[in-house]
Amino acid sequence: MSDVATTTSVPPADPAEVDKGKDETRRVRRPVNGKFIIGATMLSLIVLFAIFGPIIAEFDPRNSNNPVLVPPDSTHWLGTTSLGYDMFSQMATGARTSLMVGIVAGLIAVTLSILFGVIAGYVGGLTDEILTLVIGVMLVIPGLPLTIVISSLVPGRSGLLVAVILGITGWAGAAVVLRSQAQSLRNRDYVSASRIAGEKPLRVIGVEILPNLLPLLTGQFLFGVIFAILGEAGLSYLGLGPTGSISWGTILNEAQAGGALTRGAWWWFVPPGIAVALVGCSLALINFAIDEVINPKLRSAPLEARRVRKAKAAARAQKRADRAAKRQEAKA
Amino acid sequence: MRYIGRRLVIYAVTLWAAISLNFFLPRLLPGDPAAILIAKMSRNGDVTDAQLQSIRRLFGNPEASLWTQYIEYWQQLFRGDLGTSVSFYPTPVTELIGAALPWSIGLVGMATIISFTVGIGLGMFAGWKRGTWVDHIVPSTTLLQSLPYFWVAMVLIYFFSVQNQWFPIIGGYNVFMFNGPEWSWDFVGSVAYHAVLPATTIVISSVGGWLLGMRNMMVSTLGEDFVVTAEAKGLKKRRIMTTYAARNAMLPSIAGFGVALGFVVGGFVVMETVFSYPGIGKLMITAVRGNDYALMQGVFLVITLTVLVAMFITDMIYGLIDPRARQNV
Amino acid sequence: MIRTTGRKRVIAAASMVAGLSLLVAGCSDAEESTDDPTTDATTSSETTDSASAGVKTDRELVVWAGAQTPINQTFNPFVPEVQHLALGGVYESLFYYNKAGAGDPKPLLGESFEWNEDGTQLTISIREGVKWNDGEDFTTDDVIYSFTNSIAGPDYITGAEATDDSTVVLTFDEPQFTNELSVLGLTWMIPQHVWADIEDTALEFANLEPVGTGPYTIGSISDANYTGVANPDYWAGEPNVTNVRYIGIDGNQSAEDLLRTGQIDWVGMFVPEPDGLIDAGIGYINTPQDPAVLYTCSNADLGCEGDQTDVAVRQALNLAIDRTAIKDKAFVGLTGTISPTFALLGRDDKWISPDVEAESPQSPNIEEAQAILEEAGYTKGDDGFYAKDGDPIEMSLTSVDGWTDFNNAAKLIEEQAAAAGIKVTAATVSWNEFADGRTNGDYELIMGGMIGTSVADPFQLYKDWLGGDATTPAGTALEPGDWNFSRYDNDIVNEQIQAAAATNDEATKMEAYAVIQEEIVRDLPYIPIVINATQTFYNQTDYTGWPTEDNLFAFPPAWGSGAAGVVLSSLGGAE
Repeated sequence: MSDVATTTSVPPADPAEVDKGKDETRRVRRPVNGKFIIGATMLSLIVLFAIFGPIIAEFDPRNSNNPVLVPPDSTHWLGTTSLGYDMFSQMATGARTSLMVGIVAGLIAVTLSILFGVIAGYVGGLTDEILTLVIGVMLVIPGLPLTIVISSLVPGRSGLLVAVILGITGWAGAAVVLRSQAQSLRNRDYVSASRIAGEKPLRVIGVEILPNLLPLLTGQFLFGVIFAILGEAGLSYLGLGPTGSISWGTILNEAQAGGALTRGAWWWFVPPGIAVALVGCSLALINFAIDEVINPKLRSAPLEARRVRKAKAAARAQKRADRAAKRQEAKA
Repeated sequence: MRYIGRRLVIYAVTLWAAISLNFFLPRLLPGDPAAILIAKMSRNGDVTDAQLQSIRRLFGNPEASLWTQYIEYWQQLFRGDLGTSVSFYPTPVTELIGAALPWSIGLVGMATIISFTVGIGLGMFAGWKRGTWVDHIVPSTTLLQSLPYFWVAMVLIYFFSVQNQWFPIIGGYNVFMFNGPEWSWDFVGSVAYHAVLPATTIVISSVGGWLLGMRNMMVSTLGEDFVVTAEAKGLKKRRIMTTYAARNAMLPSIAGFGVALGFVVGGFVVMETVFSYPGIGKLMITAVRGNDYALMQGVFLVITLTVLVAMFITDMIYGLIDPRARQNV
Repeated sequence: MIRTTGRKRVIAAASMVAGLSLLVAGCSDAEESTDDPTTDATTSSETTDSASAGVKTDRELVVWAGAQTPINQTFNPFVPEVQHLALGGVYESLFYYNKAGAGDPKPLLGESFEWNEDGTQLTISIREGVKWNDGEDFTTDDVIYSFTNSIAGPDYITGAEATDDSTVVLTFDEPQFTNELSVLGLTWMIPQHVWADIEDTALEFANLEPVGTGPYTIGSISDANYTGVANPDYWAGEPNVTNVRYIGIDGNQSAEDLLRTGQIDWVGMFVPEPDGLIDAGIGYINTPQDPAVLYTCSNADLGCEGDQTDVAVRQALNLAIDRTAIKDKAFVGLTGTISPTFALLGRDDKWISPDVEAESPQSPNIEEAQAILEEAGYTKGDDGFYAKDGDPIEMSLTSVDGWTDFNNAAKLIEEQAAAAGIKVTAATVSWNEFADGRTNGDYELIMGGMIGTSVADPFQLYKDWLGGDATTPAGTALEPGDWNFSRYDNDIVNEQIQAAAATNDEATKMEAYAVIQEEIVRDLPYIPIVINATQTFYNQTDYTGWPTEDNLFAFPPAWGSGAAGVVLSSLGGAE
């Protein structure tokens, strides 16, 4: 509804500047983006845990035949719950569900936001009006309440269903940004050129517009994933999460219902919360790095600032040295 | 003027569509409110025919066509009548919402403003200090942002209300001392005291977003020619940071702030549940759990309206500040 | 800034309250010691004249009776959301039936009652000299009005008249022995001079200043709390605890935290680990009362669907369940042992037929379970689950989300059933789905509760939960007041329920029950699991006179309807 561009969408204003940036990176050792590396490493570790965790776990996550509320030890690496479930197995199985919910919801949200946002922005006219109305309605009906209603509508929710619900309620914000971007791209010369050359609208969108929006879409996808994972945890807390499957959200829900904190069972309550936060953090770091790719100023400006500061410091040091030398001279 | 008129039409249509959706959605839920009330009453003994009739009268006839119900719903809305709640029978919905709204707006609104101010301030600072150690701290705020709200809230309660009894566990005010809201300094103090932990929860989980956005815009803006010129002219650093860079860098954040304010009313269901905070979010979850259509519709209506109003105001402000927006309807 | 002022103020307030109660305790000490020598909790509750134990105190007693915020502001006894203190605290019934014990009902506004031979006439003598809290006299007219009003007067009462100033005679068309509890124990006495004028719109009446005869009157009410003040003219004497405060709390965790930090004084709720609270000096009593069972939609003739309609499957499941593990893990060892006859072990022992097992099996017997299945024509498939003609046994087991103990029990049952080759899938549902499912017979298995009888006799349970009159075909909602969710309809059982209803003779009833028990223990329309825990926590430091194991004069939890008045008026400040 509001035509606010996000910070990520500022296109490189001045080609010269971009060149300068490239120049600089060639001259100065190209800085490996530390944020990206940390984020990607964290994310890979979590994904590996989701893939291999359930395989290396010694116990079935639903096997209650263990002592209850055991703190972490060599048998139960993350302790056990009040029913005797092994927390490591639960966390590993939960990782699969939570990541699945995040990815599916993120994909659905991005697809829908492309469908509505890009088409509305590119095609314009009555189509735009109608699609914008839909976006507007989805935007003013806040996501969580709508999710609560839809998920209490469906009995026996699977993880996949929760993902779909989170996906279809969480795309409108991204669509607004995409629409305004598509609108501005539409008037670029190269897009006008292919339109005048008689290309079909779908082809123009696919070939000319989407590739230009790719970094932005990636960012939106990552945020979609974070919001879906957090949303799943929130829904589970309210008792509206996936039924019958184990996710980090349902583990948290059971932990709080079982009084994990007051019973001192931190190993039951803390890991799922931290795991959710770590996924969010890793995705945000990757997004950070993407931002710097889209908007080179974000990368170049700090470097520039550092260089200037170093130069100044060097100059000051030089001055001091000069002065000292002069004094020496004077003394002499 | 044309700009404003056009936006108004769009908002009106959006409102109509949203309200209609509010009407149809709850009707898809399983169970009929009158039946639920009757089932509840029958636990206390037999329900007489007179009772049945009076309940049917209150909740409308479920056999009437959806279209008739829809028309009746609009007629009610124009009379300012949002119906009677089943969960809080026989309290009218308007009364319930009226009692809850100030709490949500007060607490969440306050927390959002604090979070915004702190985030923008820190973001400005971090942007200004680009290329120093501060750059390495900035990404870590994303960790805070990614913690589930209720998790943060429960950890805070555990440490600051149970282990150390510094802050209260539940409520919007001291429910052990006051027999309901009243106008006195003691009461205001109690409200502020009870808002500390819920507000901290919100600030912890949302300040990172503002900080990051502001910092990135700040860094971009500081690279703009006009700032470089200002530096070259030898203006004071503080003046450059605040007047030149921050003012421009803040534009997108202001827009985001408008939207965030819109979600003040309905965005914190989970937090309000953890703290037994008497806000709109609590009402909504009660309504959903009790199949309380009337209450649900009322709450949705209020949420929709606040979001629309917040967006409209943001739109207007933006239209004033940034002439480009007016072209780009 | 805010923090410091806030804290100081609270601390100051707390010390002020403490100071006050000390002061009061000091003052009343002298008075009490001359007036009332029996201040011991166990003895004083048995004396009817001075009901309260301990000394007078105006330390405010804080109660959580399960209300959530915002509190529904109504004291109308006819709406389901009526606030707790109204029932028993403000409005009283004629007698109090103690669910927790087998003794005689405690006289409140009635003094005694007598049935005629065939159960069609009930003569009640009414307490004289009682006043409504608005100053009017409580008369036999009020009693008659309470039974015959059009708001909720029971329709089986065909006549009510006063034979003198203190006697009311109720007449019925049929024997109504079995409705004794609802007539004498659950019908609230309301003043005719208030309710007669608003009868037509009685349900919309919030009744914020309720006129009753009970030990408390209402002080204030808001979204978050309400207060009660001792009724100085209470017929049994003004209660010693002069101020009570009921608060709304949204979650068990918050309530437990408040209890732990000494901010609430009386609560009935499930706490998985009560030891920590007991160690902190909080009073605790556990009174298991209500059966926790698996509802099964058992009757295919009435339209039930699913494998549980086969009695062999139910019997096998019954044997596969490891009740000890469920008790220890899901209910943290707090539950009682259940009898498949649903008579409460200990209280109702005399009603259990010697021909049936008194207790459900506590450990699983997988061989026998499998033998039953194999005899019924099921064979074990490659996946380890039993099937008949290629159609595997598969049942869904639901429980209400947030009922943690039930959710956990369902998960354990899924695992235990699987070990015996029966596939059960546990899932949680919202309360509405649960209520819809059970009332319409649209479910397979539900982990749910039965309401234990309030008197030492399982009859009500047989009639309401197992009688053919109390059910409808699947797809049709049960009538209000009926609880036969299993759609069980057995002619032999129905006949014996009729027989037992028409008599007050113990031997005849026992005979009838023996037949019923034989049928239901075999058919298992509800698979018994445990007798659910009913935990009550109370402040024994500042108050005395609570119901204890030795003196269970009332059902202890704070949510128990009607018990509020009896318990609260028995309390007093600790010396």
